[in-house]
Amino acid sequence: MLTKLSNSKFLIPAMAFLVVLATGAGFYISLKQSQNRQERSEVSQGLFWPNPKQIKDFSSEDHNGNIFGSKQINGKWSFIFFGYTNCPDICPITMSVMVDVYRNLTTEFDDIQTIFVTVDPERDTKEKLSSYVNFFDKNFIGLNGEPENKNSLVRQIGIAYFSNKEKDNYLVDHSASIFVIDPKMRLIAKLSPPHQLEKIIDQFKNIKRFVDEKG
Amino acid sequence: MKKVNTIFFFLLLFLNINIVLAENSQKIHIYDLWINEAPPTATVLVAYVVLKNNSKRLMTLNSVSCPLFSSIEIHRSIIKNDIASMERHSMLEIPSKSTIKLSPGDFHLMLFNPKIPLNTHDTPIFTFSFLDGTQIPVTATIRKRKDMMH
Repeated sequence: MLTKLSNSKFLIPAMAFLVVLATGAGFYISLKQSQNRQERSEVSQGLFWPNPKQIKDFSSEDHNGNIFGSKQINGKWSFIFFGYTNCPDICPITMSVMVDVYRNLTTEFDDIQTIFVTVDPERDTKEKLSSYVNFFDKNFIGLNGEPENKNSLVRQIGIAYFSNKEKDNYLVDHSASIFVIDPKMRLIAKLSPPHQLEKIIDQFKNIKRFVDEKG
Repeated sequence: MKKVNTIFFFLLLFLNINIVLAENSQKIHIYDLWINEAPPTATVLVAYVVLKNNSKRLMTLNSVSCPLFSSIEIHRSIIKNDIASMERHSMLEIPSKSTIKLSPGDFHLMLFNPKIPLNTHDTPIFTFSFLDGTQIPVTATIRKRKDMMH
C-alpha cells in the first residue's frame, strides 16, 4: 500500500497540501493566542482572568459601626486598599489617588465604592478609622482587617503584612496594590503601583468592558 | 584706649558671627518644606523638603526638630514586589554641589505625635542640624490633600 502510495502521482501534491495545511493551522493558532494575549494586555496586566476568585459571604463592621459584608459588596464595583492610618507616606498617596478615581468614576457610574481596610486593627480604632476615611471622602468605607476571621477580606484576598509591635511607633509593611471586586463578587483585578488617576480610570473602563462582554 | 579696644573687639566678634551665619546659609540651602495635611486624629504626619548643598564638601543632615512634634525621623518608602515598607535613616548625606529632594513615595520626614492639629494657616519652624554643627531654621507650610501630588 505504502509502495503504491509512494509511487502515486498524487504523493507530492498531497504532501504539499499537508504542509500548507499544517502551516496554516499553526499560523491560525499562533494568531489566536497572540490576539488573546493582546486582548488581556489591553484590559489590564493585573486582571485575574479566566478564573477570578469568588468572594465568599462575610460580615464585618464599618467605621460607623454598621454591618458591612457580602450584601454591601454584591452589585457594586469595589476598589479596596489595605493600609493603616499611621502610615504617613504610601497610604495617603494611594488614598489621594483613590479619591480622584472615585470622584471621576462616580460622575459616570453609580455602582462604585471605595473601601479602606486597616492592617493595623489594634491601633486603628473605629474612631480613628472614621476620622481617616472621612478626611479623604465622606463616602469612603473603613473596615477593620479582622485577621482572626477566616472570611475577612484580608484573609480571602490573601493580603500579606508584617509589623514589629515591640517597637514604639511601629511600622507595618503591607500591600501597595489596589484590589477590584466586580458586582458578581469576584476578585477581578489587582492594580499595582505607581497609582495614577488616568491609568486607573483607563484600566477600570477596560476591565468593566471586558467583564461585561464575558459575563 | 582700653575702651576703644573693647569696642573694636566686640565689633570684630559681631562681624565674625555674621560671616559664619552668612557662610552657613550659603553652603546649604533648604527650601520648599511642607507638611501634608492629615486627619485631626493623625499621630504621625509627613513632611517633604529640598536640600541643596552649595559647598565644596559633603554635608550630613543628622537631625531635624520642631517643638510641635515629639520626634522627627528620616525615612524612605520602598515598594518591592508590591509590598510597601519604610526604612529609617539615621542621617542623610548631601554630596557637594548637589540637591536632594524629599518627596512623596521616597525620602520623607516622619513627624511623630503632633501637639496640636495643624491647619493650612500654620507655619511651624523646623531646625535642620548637620554633623559639622550647622543649624538652619526653616519655616514649613501645610498643604491640602489635593495639592499633595503637585
